[in-house]
Amino acid sequence: MTTARSADPVPGFIESAFNPLVNAVAHRCLVDRPGDGSRTAIVLGSVVGDSTTTDLASTLMVGGQVGNPLLFMQATPNAVLGWLSKEFGVTGPLVALSATEDLGSALLDAAAVLLDDPELDRVLVVGVELTGNDRTTAALGELDLEPPTEDFAVALWVDRDTPPDGGGHDLRHLAVRDEGSTP
Amino acid sequence: MAEVVVTGFGVRTAFGQGADAVRRGVFGGVPSFAPTTRFDTGPYRTSFAATTGGDKPDALRDVLGECADEAVGMAGLAARDDTAVLVGTAGDFAALTRFWRGEAGVEVADTVPARQADLLAARLGATGQRLAFTNACVASATAIIHACHQIASGRLTSAVCAGAYLVEEENFAKFDSGRALSRGGVVRPFSADRDGLLLGDGAATVVLESATAARRRGARPLAAVVGWGAGSDAHHIARPHPEGAGLAAAAKRALRRAGDPDGLRVDYVNAHGTATKHNDPAETRGLRSVFGARADRVPVSSTKGTTGHLLEAAGVVEFVITLLALADGVLPPTANLTAPDPECDLDLVPNRSRPADVRRALSVNAAFGGANTALVLERR
Repeated sequence: MTTARSADPVPGFIESAFNPLVNAVAHRCLVDRPGDGSRTAIVLGSVVGDSTTTDLASTLMVGGQVGNPLLFMQATPNAVLGWLSKEFGVTGPLVALSATEDLGSALLDAAAVLLDDPELDRVLVVGVELTGNDRTTAALGELDLEPPTEDFAVALWVDRDTPPDGGGHDLRHLAVRDEGSTP
Repeated sequence: MAEVVVTGFGVRTAFGQGADAVRRGVFGGVPSFAPTTRFDTGPYRTSFAATTGGDKPDALRDVLGECADEAVGMAGLAARDDTAVLVGTAGDFAALTRFWRGEAGVEVADTVPARQADLLAARLGATGQRLAFTNACVASATAIIHACHQIASGRLTSAVCAGAYLVEEENFAKFDSGRALSRGGVVRPFSADRDGLLLGDGAATVVLESATAARRRGARPLAAVVGWGAGSDAHHIARPHPEGAGLAAAAKRALRRAGDPDGLRVDYVNAHGTATKHNDPAETRGLRSVFGARADRVPVSSTKGTTGHLLEAAGVVEFVITLLALADGVLPPTANLTAPDPECDLDLVPNRSRPADVRRALSVNAAFGGANTALVLERR
C-alpha cells in the first residue's frame, strides 16, 4: 500500500491536486509490480471527487468567464485513469465510484467483484480525497461526514493471491479517509 | 453461474416519461433538439439541447426516483436487504451552480454523487449496497456490469441500476469549451457532415435479478443479460483509440461471456455513436474487428441523433432502448444520417426504424479516458 499527500504535476492536468495524487500512488504501484495490462483493472474511489476542478469550472462559469478546455478534459476521473492506462498499457476495466459509507470497503468489494472475472488477475485500488472547499464542506456536513484535513491518496493491489477477505492481512481495514501513515 | 434477467425498467428522455415516449421519439427517428431556455446560451457556440419540461430541470433525485418507481412497479419487486442500488451519476450539477450563485435552499449534498444512490435506496427501502459510478459516459453501463457480476456469482439476488443526467449549464459550458457541441443544432451520428454532439435529458432504471429469484416470486423476465464486459483504450485521456481497440475488447469480453465469441448470434448493435469527428470512425473500426466479415450484415444504430448525449445516463437509457428493440422486434434508426461517411460503412439503419426479429443485441458505450463497456441482451 502506498499513500501520498502531495505530488508532482502531471502533464496536461492543471490546478487540482486530485489527478497528480492519483497518478503518484498508482504510478508507484504500477512500477513496483509490472504485469499484464490486459488482465489488470483499476478502481478509483472518492466520496466527493475532484472538487477543485469541478468548483473552479463552476465559479468561472458563474462569474461569466470563458471556460478552460483543460478543465473540460480533466472534469471526470476517467481522465487520469486514461492517462495511467496509456502510460502502463492497462486495457482492462476502468471503474470510478463514490460511496458515502465506508468507501474503503466499497472499493475492496468492487475489486473482489471484478476478480470474479476469470479474464482479470489483479485490480489496482485507488482512493483519493481532497480537503475541498465551502461547497464540499457544506455538502459533507449535510451528510454528517468530515472533510479530510489534508489532500491525500492511497493505492494498493488486490489480486487473486491477496483477496480482500483473506490472506495474511485484512484489507477491509483500509479506510480511505484514515490519515494514519502506512509505509 | 446464475442467469441474470431484467424484470422491470423505467425511462425518461426528452420525449417524456416512459417506454411509449421512447417508441414515439427514438424509434420514430425524431430529433428532440431545440434552443434550451434553462440558462442563457449567449456565451456559447450553440443553444441547442434535448430537454423536457420547463426552464429549470427537475432535481436529479426526483427523476431517478420516478424512473425507479416505474421499474420496481413493473418488476413487482419489494426491495430486499441485499438489493443493491447502483447509480451512474456525477451528482446534481444544477445544485452546484445554484450553490455558487448563492441561492437559498440548495440541497448541496445532492452534488455528491453517492448521495443520489443513498436517496434512491431510501426511497425504495433498500438497505443493501449503495454506490454511485462516476466514470462519465460509461457510468450507468458500469453499474449494470457491476450488478451482473454479483448476481451471476451469487453475491446478490437483485439490483436496481440507474443513471441520470439532466441538461444544465455546467456541462454545457464544458462541452462548449471543448468544441464538442454541434453548432448546427443537429446530431448526425456516422454521417459525413456530423459536427458534434448535443446534450440531452435522460434517466433510466432497470431491475436486474437472478432468474431463479425472479421465477420464485413469479416475475416475468423481459430479457436476459447474457454477456458483459469492459475494456480500455490505453491511448489518450480524451480521444478514443482510432481503431476502437478498447470498445472492441469490451465487446469481445461480453460476447465470450455470452458464449458467442464471434458475435454470430448478434442481431443488432446499439452503438455509442456520438457524432463527433473521432468517435464514429473509431467505433466503426472497432465493431468491424468484433464481427469480422459479418460486420456488413449486422445492423448498427446510434440513437443519440434523437435523444442527444445523456452522459452518465447513456448506458442505461440505451440498454432500455435495446430492450425495447428486442421486445418490439423493431430496430431504432440512426437519425439525421444524410451523408454516408466511407469511414463509417456499416448497416446503420438510416433514418427509419426497421422491423427485425431481434433475439440478441449488443449495446456499447465509450467514455473519456478510453473507458468502454458492452452488454449483451437476449429476448425472453
